Amino acid sequence: MKSEIIAIAAAMAISISTLGPAIAQGITAKSAMESIARQPDAAKDIRSTLIISLALMEALTIYGLLIAFMLIAKI
Amino acid sequence: MGEGSKVIFHLFGILDVTGEVVMMWIILAIVTVISLVVKHNLKERPGVFQNMIETGVEYLDHFFRDLLGQEKSRKYFSFLASLFIFIIFANYSGLLPGVGLTDYAKAPTSSLSVTAGLGVLTFIFLQVAGLRCGVKHYFKRFVSPMFFMLPLLLLDELIKPASLALRLFGNVFGEEMVTEELYNIFPIGVPIVMMVLSLLFCALQALVFTMLTSIYLDEVTETE
Repeated sequence: MKSEIIAIAAAMAISISTLGPAIAQGITAKSAMESIARQPDAAKDIRSTLIISLALMEALTIYGLLIAFMLIAKI
Repeated sequence: MGEGSKVIFHLFGILDVTGEVVMMWIILAIVTVISLVVKHNLKERPGVFQNMIETGVEYLDHFFRDLLGQEKSRKYFSFLASLFIFIIFANYSGLLPGVGLTDYAKAPTSSLSVTAGLGVLTFIFLQVAGLRCGVKHYFKRFVSPMFFMLPLLLLDELIKPASLALRLFGNVFGEEMVTEELYNIFPIGVPIVMMVLSLLFCALQALVFTMLTSIYLDEVTETE
């Protein structure tokens, strides 16, 4: 019984921690594309800032992934 | 996690050599040989090979110059570019056939120990770079807006390399795991889908690691 609960917990850890950053990354990419379309000259600066902010959001998902792996190791 | 890697043999009785270490030796050998060959016959009118390497180095130079400015990027170029080259080779080594399937060769960055090592290296580099800009300036940074920010800023300094290490490890390990699972489901053809995506993600992770390192460096060495 215990290992089933741990498996469900691991699945929830990764799925819930994917939801928030996914929405946030979508919004970020949307506004970056809008600003590139409005001002193509600034595309270079916007792109590097975009990559950094996406990476920082990605970290949250990675923490969830890490917790999921730690839970899986306990089964 | 990292502790899953199996020790192949012991070097000098104390050092555990795992599949990741073997792969790192191979990467170091390849990079060293390429650098020596290019350095050995530099020509005024470059050939195909030298042209290729020059394009890569120029790209890195422009990349760091945009982030740091001319002076700082020249000063710290060797460290940052070495970091980038090592990480991108380490990430791509996971795509070689056979790597990751046996204990004798694994992508180095898919182990938390290796990425934590890179994180510690970055941490030391940032502290040394900060101290080289003046000891007073270095300590002033920790109390810069107000005095009670000290614990937060100290914590921030430790979290930076940890998050760098975890991000790289999580991404590369996740990719390796997905490719392996797809391989277990159906060995022929299906893993290619993930491997093509990995081509993009591996380069992106190397880029993100060095980009964040240089941004932290820019913060540390900022002079008014």
